[in-house]
Amino acid sequence: MEEGRRIRSVLLAAGIALAVILVSAGVPGSVGAQQAVTLNLYISGDTNVFDLFQKGFIPAFTKRYPRYKVNFVGLLHGNGSDGVYDKILAAKRAGRTTDVDLWEAEPGYVDQGIPEGLWVKLSPHLLPNIAKVPKDVLEAVDYFGVPYRGSSVVIGYNSKFVKTAPSTFDDLVAWIKANPGKFTYCDPNTGGSGQAFVTAAIYRFTGSQKFASKVYDPKEESAWEPGWKLLRDLQPAMYNNGFHPNGNVAVLQLLAQENIYMASVWSDQGLDFYNRGQLPKTMKFTQITPALIGDDARVMLPAGGAHLEGAMTFLNWLLTPEAQTMVIEMIAGYPGIEWKYMPAALREQFKDVAKGFSPYPSPKYLADIKRLWHEKVVVGQ
Amino acid sequence: MSGGWYWAVGGLRRAVALGAFCALAAFILGPLLTLILWAVAGSWLFPSLLPEFSLKWWVYVLGNSDVTKAIKMSFLSAPVATLLSAVLCIPAAYAFARLEFPGRRALLLSFLSANAFPKIGLYISIATLFYRLNLMDTFAGVVLIQLVNTLLFMIWIPTGTFRGINRNLEEAARDVGAGPLRTFFQITLPIALPGIIVALLFAFLAAFDEAQGTLIVGTPNHMTMPVLMYTLVLSYPQPVGAVFSVLLSLPSLVFLLLAQRYLRAGYLAAGYAL
Amino acid sequence: MLPPLLVLVFLIVLPAITAIVETLSPVAGAGTGLTLVRYAQVLGARIVRSDIIFSVEVALISVASVFCLSYPLALYLRFAQGRLPSLFAVLFTIPLFVPVVIASFAMITFLVNHGLISTVLYRLGIERFPPLVYNATGIVLTQVWANIPFAVLILGAGLQAIDDALIDGARDVGAGPLRTFVSIILPLNVVPTMIALTLLFISIFGSFTIPYLVGGNAPQMLGVTMTNYLTQYFRRAEAVTMAVIAFIIAAAVGAIYVASVSRRERYSL
Repeated sequence: MEEGRRIRSVLLAAGIALAVILVSAGVPGSVGAQQAVTLNLYISGDTNVFDLFQKGFIPAFTKRYPRYKVNFVGLLHGNGSDGVYDKILAAKRAGRTTDVDLWEAEPGYVDQGIPEGLWVKLSPHLLPNIAKVPKDVLEAVDYFGVPYRGSSVVIGYNSKFVKTAPSTFDDLVAWIKANPGKFTYCDPNTGGSGQAFVTAAIYRFTGSQKFASKVYDPKEESAWEPGWKLLRDLQPAMYNNGFHPNGNVAVLQLLAQENIYMASVWSDQGLDFYNRGQLPKTMKFTQITPALIGDDARVMLPAGGAHLEGAMTFLNWLLTPEAQTMVIEMIAGYPGIEWKYMPAALREQFKDVAKGFSPYPSPKYLADIKRLWHEKVVVGQ
Repeated sequence: MSGGWYWAVGGLRRAVALGAFCALAAFILGPLLTLILWAVAGSWLFPSLLPEFSLKWWVYVLGNSDVTKAIKMSFLSAPVATLLSAVLCIPAAYAFARLEFPGRRALLLSFLSANAFPKIGLYISIATLFYRLNLMDTFAGVVLIQLVNTLLFMIWIPTGTFRGINRNLEEAARDVGAGPLRTFFQITLPIALPGIIVALLFAFLAAFDEAQGTLIVGTPNHMTMPVLMYTLVLSYPQPVGAVFSVLLSLPSLVFLLLAQRYLRAGYLAAGYAL
Repeated sequence: MLPPLLVLVFLIVLPAITAIVETLSPVAGAGTGLTLVRYAQVLGARIVRSDIIFSVEVALISVASVFCLSYPLALYLRFAQGRLPSLFAVLFTIPLFVPVVIASFAMITFLVNHGLISTVLYRLGIERFPPLVYNATGIVLTQVWANIPFAVLILGAGLQAIDDALIDGARDVGAGPLRTFVSIILPLNVVPTMIALTLLFISIFGSFTIPYLVGGNAPQMLGVTMTNYLTQYFRRAEAVTMAVIAFIIAAAVGAIYVASVSRRERYSL
C-alpha cells in the first residue's frame, strides 16, 4: 500500500540518519597507525600570533619533522581559553587522554591547573632547550609553563594630534589630564594592553618585583591603594567619561576612528594593524620609562595529551634559534630564550628593542588586580 | 469587518503608519546595512561617509581553510541535530499533547531549564560525561550538544500544535479501521505540519548558533562557524567580522523567505501556552 | 517521551544538581554538611549586588521598551490590511534570523561614535553625538532589536484569537476605538501579554552576548560578571554560585509565567 510505503520510507530515513550518527561516533577523529601523527595545538592569541603559527612555525616544523602533521586551533582569550581548560580538566576526571597536545594561554590558567595536576613539569631532561629560557620566568610558574615569545605593551599615539609623545608614566598621566576624552585602555579583563596601563599605575608606587614573584600574600595588596586612587582620578579624563572597551582590538578601532588619540597597545599587534592599513597613517608607537609590562603568554603541555612525545618535540623545536628568529621577524616580538643564544646579526639589529619590558604580575596577583580594578576604579569606592 | 474598526479613525492613520514603517525599517535594517558596507570595505576611516570599496577581506576569509571547514561543519551538523531532534521530540510532544498525567506541566516546564540555567557552570560535568562516552571531537558529540538547545522548541511548539488538533478527527480515522501509527502519519501529522515547520525553524536557528558547547566538544576537528565568530569579531580587523557575519546570516535569510508564511500563524504562541 | 527527557536529565539536570551541590558544600577544611556560606559571600559583595540590581533594571527597561514597540505593531498587524502591513510583517521578523553575536556587532558599527549614524550627522554639521553603545542604552537598544520578533509573534497570536464579532459588536453599540481597545482587546489579551513579558524577562536577564559586546565596564549584567569570575578572576565557586542565584531569579519570574498559563486554562474551562 502506498501509505504504508510512505511510513516505511519516513522510518527508513530516520533510521539512516541515526545510523550515520552512530557510525560517525564509532570512528574517532584520529587516523591510522601508519600515517603521520597529528598534533593539535590550541593557541589563544591575536591574529598576528595565528599568522606566526600558520605561516611560520607549522610549515617549518613539519618540513623538519615530516613524521608530524599539525592541526592549528586558534582561539580568543577569555571565552575560548575557558572552554579549553574545561576540556582538559574533564578529560582528566573521565580518565581519558585529551586531544589538546599543546596549549598557549594566559599564565592564570597555568596556575589554576597546577593543583589539579594538569600539566607536565618541564625540565631540561625532557626538553633540552628549556635550559636556554631565563630561569626566573620558569620559576614564576614552577616550570609548568614556558613563554616562547615576548612582546610588550607600548603607547600608540596619533601624531596628527599629539605633537610630543610622553616619555615617562607621569608624562602620560599629565597628557591624559590635559586632553580629556582622548585616551583609554581596554578593560583589563579583556586584554593585556589594558592590564599594562593598570599595572603601570600600581607599579608606579610599589615597584614591580614584589608582585611579579610567585610568593602570594593578599595582605600585600593594600599597597595598591595609591595606584587605584590614581586610576580613579583619571576616569573622568578617559574616553566617553571613563569607558574601557573590550579587548585589544577594540582600542585599536577607537584609534582608527579617531575617537581617541592615544592608548596603550600591544607593540606587535599595533604594528600589524598599521601595516594592514587599519590605522591612520599618522599613528606612531613609543615605549615609556619604566617600560610597560610584556610577555603574557605561556605554553603548557597537558599531562593527559594524546601525543606527548610529539608535543615535546614541537615545544623543544619552538625554543630553537630557528623558531625564535621567526618570532622576531614575523611579529616583531622578543625571543623566549635568552638573547645570547640568538644569531649575532639579529642581536646587533635589535639591541635597542631588547631593553624589554616590566614583568607581569604573578597569576594570582593579576587575577586580583583585574577583580579589584573593577571594584575600585570603574565602580569607584 | 474588523478592518473597518481600525480605519474608522481616518486617513491620517495611513501617513502615521508610513512614518512608523520608515522609522522601524531604519532601526531594524540600519545596523545590517552598516554591516554589509563593512563587508565590502577595504578600509573605512572616519570621517568618510562610505568605505573604500574592496573585496580583499572576502578573499582573506574564504581563503582560510579553518573558515571553510567550519562552514561545512555548521551546515552538516545543524540540520542533522534539527532532524534528530524532530525524530526524538515529536513523538514525545504528541504524548504530552494527548496524555493527561500528573506532573505533565512540570515535565514540560523542565525543558525551559535547558534555556534558563546559565550553562557556564555545567560544562565541566558535560565534558566529563562526553569523554566517558567517547563523544569528544566527534560529529555525534557536536550534534548532541546542539540538540540540547533545540529541545525546548521541538517539544513545546509541536505539543501546542497537537493540542490544537481536534481529537475527533483521529477517532474518526480509527473508527474506519486505521491503526494508531497510520492515523498519526495520515491524519495528525499533515495537519500539524505547519507547526512542525515553525518548530524546525526555531530548532535549526538554536542549533546553528550554539557556540560555547561546540567549542569544548568539537575542537579541534569539528569546529562550527559560531565558534569562530567571537574570535573573528573581537580580534580581527572590522571587515573580517563583517564578512563572516554576512556568511553566517545567509542561510537564515533563506529560512526567512521560506517560513514567513507559517511564522505568524500562532504556532509559536500555542507552544508557549504549555 | 523518554529520549528527550534523557538528554535533558544527563546534559542539564544532573550537571546542574552537581553545580548546586558544589555551591552548598563547605569551603575546604571548614567541616562537612551543607552551608549557605558561599551565597552569603557572593551576596555580601557590594559589586555583585549592584550587578544583580543592574541586570534586573536593564531587563525590566528592555522588556518595557520591547513591549511598547511590539504591542502597537501587533495591533496594527491584526487590524490593518493592505500592502504596507504585509511589508511590516516581513520586516519585524528579520532580527529573528540574525544570530545575536552578529546583531551586537552590527549595532556597534551602526551606533558607535564615528560609526555610520554619527558620521552622517557629522557630515550634516552635527558634531555632538550621545554615547549610544558601551552602556546600558546600548544593551537596551540591542535587546529591543533582537526581541521584537518574539514579542510581536506571541502578542499577535493572542490578538488573532480575539473574535472579530466581539469587536464589531462593541462598535455597533457606539464604542470608539480607544474604548474598544481598553474594554475588549486589552483584557482579552492579558494572558499572552504576561507570557510574553515573563519569557522576555527570563531571556534578557540571562543574556551574555549582548551585554558582553555592547555593554559598559560597570555595572555589568550578571551573565558577564559570572564569566569574569570564572575566566578572569579564577574564582570558579563564586561564578557557579552566581549562576544558581541567576537561575533562582529566573525561576521566580517563571512562576508568574506558570500562573498566567494556569489562569488561561481556568478561563477556557
